[in-house]
Amino acid sequence: MSKKVFEVKDLRYRYRKGNVEAVRGISFDVYEGEIFGLLGPSGAGKSTTQKIMTKLFKEYAGEIVYLGKDLKQYDNQYFETLGVGFELPVHFSKLTGLENMKFFSQLYKERADIETLLDMVGLLDDKDRMVAQYSKGMKMRLNFVRALLNKPKLLFLDEVTNGLDPKNARIIKDAIRRFKEEGGTVFLTTHLMNDVEELCDRVAFIRQGEIVEISTPRDLKIKYGEREVRVEYYNNNQTKEAKFPLDGLGENKEFLALLEEETIETIHSGETTLDQIFIEVTGEKVDA
Amino acid sequence: MHNFLNLFKGEMQRMIKYKILQISFVVTLLWLVIMFLIGADYVGDFVPLFIFMDASMMTVLLVGANLFFEKQENTLKTMLITPSSYYAILASKFIASVYLALQSAILISLFAYILFDVSVNFPLLVLFVVVITFAHTAIGFTFTVFVREFTGLLAFMIFYMFLFAFPSIFYFLGIFGDAFEYILMFSPTHGSLLMIDYAYGVEVSWYLLLIANTYLVMLGIGLIHFVVSPKYVETAVRE
Repeated sequence: MSKKVFEVKDLRYRYRKGNVEAVRGISFDVYEGEIFGLLGPSGAGKSTTQKIMTKLFKEYAGEIVYLGKDLKQYDNQYFETLGVGFELPVHFSKLTGLENMKFFSQLYKERADIETLLDMVGLLDDKDRMVAQYSKGMKMRLNFVRALLNKPKLLFLDEVTNGLDPKNARIIKDAIRRFKEEGGTVFLTTHLMNDVEELCDRVAFIRQGEIVEISTPRDLKIKYGEREVRVEYYNNNQTKEAKFPLDGLGENKEFLALLEEETIETIHSGETTLDQIFIEVTGEKVDA
Repeated sequence: MHNFLNLFKGEMQRMIKYKILQISFVVTLLWLVIMFLIGADYVGDFVPLFIFMDASMMTVLLVGANLFFEKQENTLKTMLITPSSYYAILASKFIASVYLALQSAILISLFAYILFDVSVNFPLLVLFVVVITFAHTAIGFTFTVFVREFTGLLAFMIFYMFLFAFPSIFYFLGIFGDAFEYILMFSPTHGSLLMIDYAYGVEVSWYLLLIANTYLVMLGIGLIHFVVSPKYVETAVRE
């Protein structure tokens, strides 16, 4: 396993006006080069956790270790190493896209080529338009460019594909994957299971401020799935279904006979989807 | 320092793009028109009032509006995840605000001097406008961190004008008696008006001037330290 970028230990946070803790003693690690997803319904504590890890909230209990050093010991230079993609657009609407990016870029020591980034997300032709004239999808793509301006090693992305059509969501997801391939680490908070399925190496589900499950998507699917095989076959002008236990399938005579004698239409293992896992572990429905 | 200069350049760029600089310039032109309408006989009495209005009330309004726009656009939040220190961010906003007030004060005072022969202690005027704008920028920030809607900011402004600005103006118009002066020293606007008056040659006792300057500087620092700072991040992060 790669080295730990973050070690979060017994993290707790209470809003000043809140009666209950928004984050209740969560612990997890994020490893270098992985895409780690923190998943949960609205109000579960995902964004609060991210705001603590990005030092927007400083009065927390517990410990966060970033690259071997307590996060509280880092000064503003911490921000040289990370990029944050917020859930909502964060731009000066009366400046053009390029003016916005130039302004933010000059606040960092390391600077990526802005036009290359704009081109990557399909905004190069619109760089001289005022952001106020951008659609929501364009603003979200500009958010992503904003996060990459300082050539970060670590990306925090909050609902990064929110409001994007499938084509533009694909552009962003491909860019995230490329970022990872180049050695970057990504901390993703989302409730969109499609993104998780495609991107995340490991996920943690958070419910009411507590982590209730943490693993790889594959292992979770196996854990929450049923160990069975479902076969649909065609018989007497009808589609019929049969289920067989996964254990000892190769010696299951009934199953082998079905394969030999019937016209098989589909065979599925009983693994579940992340949507179903989300509902099961958080007790909430998944937004479309 | 490097980031401060970039932040300041950004503030100035946005003042132009959001037309705040232009609005401030138009207001200055309006004062100039009013000076013509008042005429040479009385203009000397009103010039300090115009500069006071610009450095105090206009500053509160423009700073408040500017910060409110940023709050709405979530840019306050994204600034907090840059390597720029919180104080550099605030300082750039202060300097930009002082620039605006100085631009108006210089234009008004030059115009009054050239066309109506209204003389002024110019270095003192500049110094006092800086102090007044500093305190009123802090007041503008304070209002903005407490409101969620723009109408809330306007309500704060109206409340402030009734509580502080109007009593001072009434005092200078002779509606309130001298006994009120010591009470009025608790008003940032009253101290501001005294300072501008003094730069224009009105006799003001040295201790009132000292109290006014000290009060405005301490008020600005106090508001930043005890009110704006603790609420700024909360304001920036609130969605």
